[in-house]
Amino acid sequence: MNSIEIRELTKAYGAHRAVDGLTFDVLPGRVTGFLGPNGAGKSTTMRLLLGLDRPTSGTATLGGRSYLDLPDPLHRVGALLDAQSAHGGRTARDHLRFLAAAGSIPVRRVDEVLEQAGIASVAKRRIKSFSLGMRQRLGIAAALLGDPGVLLLDEPTNGLDPEGIIWIRELMRRLAAEGRTVLVSSHLMSETSALADHLIVLGNGRLLADTSMADFIDARSTRRVRLRTSDPGRLRSALARDGFELAAAEEGRWTVEGIQAEQLGKLAAREGIPVLELADERASLEQAYLDLTADHAQFTATR
Amino acid sequence: MRSALPTVPTLHSEWIKIRSLRGTLGGLIAVLVATAGIQALTAAAIGRSEDGSMGDDPLFAAYYGISFGQIAAMVFGAGAVAGEFHNGALRTSLAAVPNRTRFYLSKIATVGVLALLTGQVTGLVTFVAGQAFMGRYALDLGDPGTYRAVVGSGLYLALMALLAAGLTAVLRSGTVVLSLLIPFVLLVSFVVGEAAGGAAQYLPDRAGQLVLHARTQGDLGPWTGLGVMALWAAAAVLGGWLAVRRRDA
Repeated sequence: MNSIEIRELTKAYGAHRAVDGLTFDVLPGRVTGFLGPNGAGKSTTMRLLLGLDRPTSGTATLGGRSYLDLPDPLHRVGALLDAQSAHGGRTARDHLRFLAAAGSIPVRRVDEVLEQAGIASVAKRRIKSFSLGMRQRLGIAAALLGDPGVLLLDEPTNGLDPEGIIWIRELMRRLAAEGRTVLVSSHLMSETSALADHLIVLGNGRLLADTSMADFIDARSTRRVRLRTSDPGRLRSALARDGFELAAAEEGRWTVEGIQAEQLGKLAAREGIPVLELADERASLEQAYLDLTADHAQFTATR
Repeated sequence: MRSALPTVPTLHSEWIKIRSLRGTLGGLIAVLVATAGIQALTAAAIGRSEDGSMGDDPLFAAYYGISFGQIAAMVFGAGAVAGEFHNGALRTSLAAVPNRTRFYLSKIATVGVLALLTGQVTGLVTFVAGQAFMGRYALDLGDPGTYRAVVGSGLYLALMALLAAGLTAVLRSGTVVLSLLIPFVLLVSFVVGEAAGGAAQYLPDRAGQLVLHARTQGDLGPWTGLGVMALWAAAAVLGGWLAVRRRDA
């Protein structure tokens, strides 16, 4: 009942399709990374899911129901849309209090989430005096208020300091481990790969990938090992017999394309060739992601 | 339909929103302070100088201060709704109360009830405080039309707040609404009212203020005048409802 179902979802603004025939599921118990360049349709998809925008066609549901039909929305879904979604004239505590009142959530829970988000000490300050990182923490506190089974977080690490980034990463992992559905958007692969179990990639409003993080890494990165040996000549001929090529790298090291450390280690042992260092080397995940979205980036700088 | 009506939690939420914003709560308090305060000060200054020194209609003169209090009522009504259009505040509100009709009706009901309560207190305090300085020209609460004016002034202030609230939901900006409404009631309605004769009496503020007159001329009586104003306010509230329901947040 905590899964998210997106079916043939389209949102057009005039001739421009911000979201274009999207279909995917987000399942509980894992962190799903929602990736794409700016303007790919991530935020629009989240707004459509919350019923804030009306889809041109298609549906976005939670456990088969529209968000608009949920009797207790704050207990089902917690959303962080953007850090500016609060009136600057209110205090952090008052902002959470009116939300709690709307969801019949006890006031004691307000103080709990303020504490959990690390902003209890500034709870009585007006939000306009908050830094981006503090607003982000307030948004996360608001999302946690109803102890929801589904969390939608749009670029939650935006403006957070390194300590805050580690905090939110661990929080998301813990929430997913408790069996909740966690959908977290980002435009950075490096950030997402550190926390997501599953990956949904958008480009220009279309679905580019819906895959587990492990599969994405396997499929998208070329295999390569880096090694040091005292006998490159024998290793070169041994490798050549199996169709691999030894290539010189900097600082007296060598690289071999298309093979894994395990395979090369066995080969060297069989041949009795001394290997002093041996490690798998992945082509950058960031590069793989950029390759995937290159044709779909809406805003690119001309080089 | 029942599923779109305000609930105790949504009304409670709207009440917290109003009282947690300084400007909005200040506007509500200013309704009483401006109306009764200016009435008392003016009456103290000139009320006893001669009969009719505050206007030919002694009952309407007892509500001289409402010209100022109505601006505070607009500030309150517009401010309560405009808070939702600050940054993305509306998205947070609608995520908590996804049914837009329920959200809007809860807000309008909260604004209306608070403005009506404040308006009724203002109507009575203004009358009593103002007349206390009028000496031998003072009206009594029992005089003809006074009860009507006391109750009517409260309704007038509440309708003014609702008119501003509805317009703000349509135009999505309190600043725009106030920069239209304030010059309208201070200048346009006043100038046009003198010049245009017949039609001008149907303008919201002119029609609504008939309830404060001891004698009325023209097509509208005191209560029908207030009724005309209620139609203006209802149109604004309805327009706001359509806008809130239709637009993407």
